Amino acid sequence: MTNLVVHDLNKRFGGLHVLKDVNFEIDGPELIGLIGPNGAGKTTMTNILDGAIKPNSGTVYLNGQRIDQLQPYEVARAGLGRTFQVTRSFRRMTVLENLYVPSLALDNVANKAELEEKSIEVLEFLTMDHLRNEFAQALSGGQQKLLELGRLLMLNAEVIILDEPFAGVHPRLMDIIYKYIDRVNKDGTAIILISHQMDSIFTLCRRLLVLNNGDLIADGLPDDVKRDPDVIEAYLGVEDEDDGPPPARAPDQPEA
Amino acid sequence: MTRERILQAAGLILVGFFAIFPFVYTANDYPFVMHVLTACFFYAVLASSWSMLAGYAGQFSFGHMGFTGIGAYTTALFCHYFYLSPVPTELCTEFQFGDQYLVVVDAIGVTSSTLTQDCLRQAMTIWNGSVEITPMPVWLGITLGTLMGGLFGLLIGLLVLPLRAAYLALFTLGFSEILRAAISAEIAITRGQAGIELPYLFDAGITLFGHHFDKTDKLPPYFVMLFLLLACLAIMVWLAKSKFGLFVRALREDQDAAAALGVNTTRYKILVFVLTSMMAAAAGAVMAHYIRIITPNNLMILQMSLVVAMAVIGGVESVVAAAIGAIAINFVLELLRNSFEIGPIEVDMTIWRLVVFGVLLMITLRFFRNGLIAPAINYFLRGHVAAETVAKRTAAMGDAEAET
Repeated sequence: MTNLVVHDLNKRFGGLHVLKDVNFEIDGPELIGLIGPNGAGKTTMTNILDGAIKPNSGTVYLNGQRIDQLQPYEVARAGLGRTFQVTRSFRRMTVLENLYVPSLALDNVANKAELEEKSIEVLEFLTMDHLRNEFAQALSGGQQKLLELGRLLMLNAEVIILDEPFAGVHPRLMDIIYKYIDRVNKDGTAIILISHQMDSIFTLCRRLLVLNNGDLIADGLPDDVKRDPDVIEAYLGVEDEDDGPPPARAPDQPEA
Repeated sequence: MTRERILQAAGLILVGFFAIFPFVYTANDYPFVMHVLTACFFYAVLASSWSMLAGYAGQFSFGHMGFTGIGAYTTALFCHYFYLSPVPTELCTEFQFGDQYLVVVDAIGVTSSTLTQDCLRQAMTIWNGSVEITPMPVWLGITLGTLMGGLFGLLIGLLVLPLRAAYLALFTLGFSEILRAAISAEIAITRGQAGIELPYLFDAGITLFGHHFDKTDKLPPYFVMLFLLLACLAIMVWLAKSKFGLFVRALREDQDAAAALGVNTTRYKILVFVLTSMMAAAAGAVMAHYIRIITPNNLMILQMSLVVAMAVIGGVESVVAAAIGAIAINFVLELLRNSFEIGPIEVDMTIWRLVVFGVLLMITLRFFRNGLIAPAINYFLRGHVAAETVAKRTAAMGDAEAET
């Protein structure tokens, strides 16, 4: 059973205290939204969980294994995967090769035939099968986002962090990403979803974490978080148009 | 598949051509052409291994010539300072090995022009021909040179781990220049700018195909260098198709993303440095025994830019294209040495050929980013992809319509 424990996490960049004593735990294949205004510490948190940067203090355990001092590749092998806010596909490699990288790095397929079969199944799910031999740089921005999600599927991770998967994506591709999240979650993978699109967050997530100025100010059911006075203050108090509507005014029901 | 076959056939024909060329070519300039081709293969090893490092792995190192120098100087110093003798000299530092003594000749620098002042020559004068000393085998020197190249590759690979792009280029440039300066300065051991002499590749000659070749014959070194090139290419082509090739290209494209997907980027970055450094060092060591003298000027940055330019014009993202580019360019550069006259004006091609070369490099960079040879190879390997993509999409749309 997936178990991620974040304990008293602190991170400072010079005089900036970016994460302050952050604590939370993920048990089982939860689908969690991580929200907060720009500069709240969401990406820093992702980078610490992924091993790209080390915390000043605090610990992260994944299934009993301490991962906060590991290298990113070791964290990936331990079972935590992530996407990047700005898409980072391997541009001068084919779509198939992009998918092969994580699978071969983790050695999680028996042979070449299985690798190809698995990759093509992923591409068919993402409706990109016809592009398999094209270079990633030939893909549209949305397709590159899908490709990044496809690479995560090949990783067979237990926890994945999706950093802004909906930013700049056409509604048709959005449907595919919804299906993707649903499928991955049903397969038993815990998902941390970072997004400024409150509609999507409230549609998909059954639990929300709210970061503000490095403090974890709320952790709970979406409906409770929405009514939390601290959250309302954080969102209404900050004049940042990028953050979308404050959660108090977000629609209860998703659009069709 | 058939297109790939055509490519393989073309490769075999090219290799076959170089294999039989020395036996069918009989013109008067035979030694010159053979010398030029041997140099061509030398540059081809350097350009192709550099393209593995820079084109595949994205590590734009300017230290490649430095590794060539490490290979060359390792074998030169080894052959210059170590000998085997059946009796002790009582003058040199020596160690007993079974019934032989390993003699380490003392370093006396360039003042030994008379070649009688070092301890071994003095001992030999005393022996007056009664004792025969054995020089170190050349193949052992070349092997040591190759290993030393790998060791320095490991060191540089570790040092440049956090460096990217321009910083890596500057760092490796610094390494290469420091190496050159150190070799120039350490006159006592390396003989500085005077250069250090090396024994022939085959000092006793060699018998091949039932024919004895003298130590000065061009054919044996030609085949040694050709074999080295083919071996390096075979290793690199095989690696490029394996997991290694996939991971180093991912490293080139995005180091952080590759690491986040489980690739041990540190390991592959160091591995690619070690591997390509060993190839450069091996080529340097073999070439040094062929030319028979090595000076610090062989490591000059001009030489490095020549190798880079060859790889770029051939196509830096294909080791085979870089090798073909290097062979073609070095051959043409040598042929262009012949000066000619246009009316009253004499065109000194020994200098103008470099201008021609520079212009070719600029045109390639501006209009053919992937080089001149690599696109031709890609046509055979990837030419069908666009058509396939369209066909698959059309088929998928057909299915969708059938469903509705």
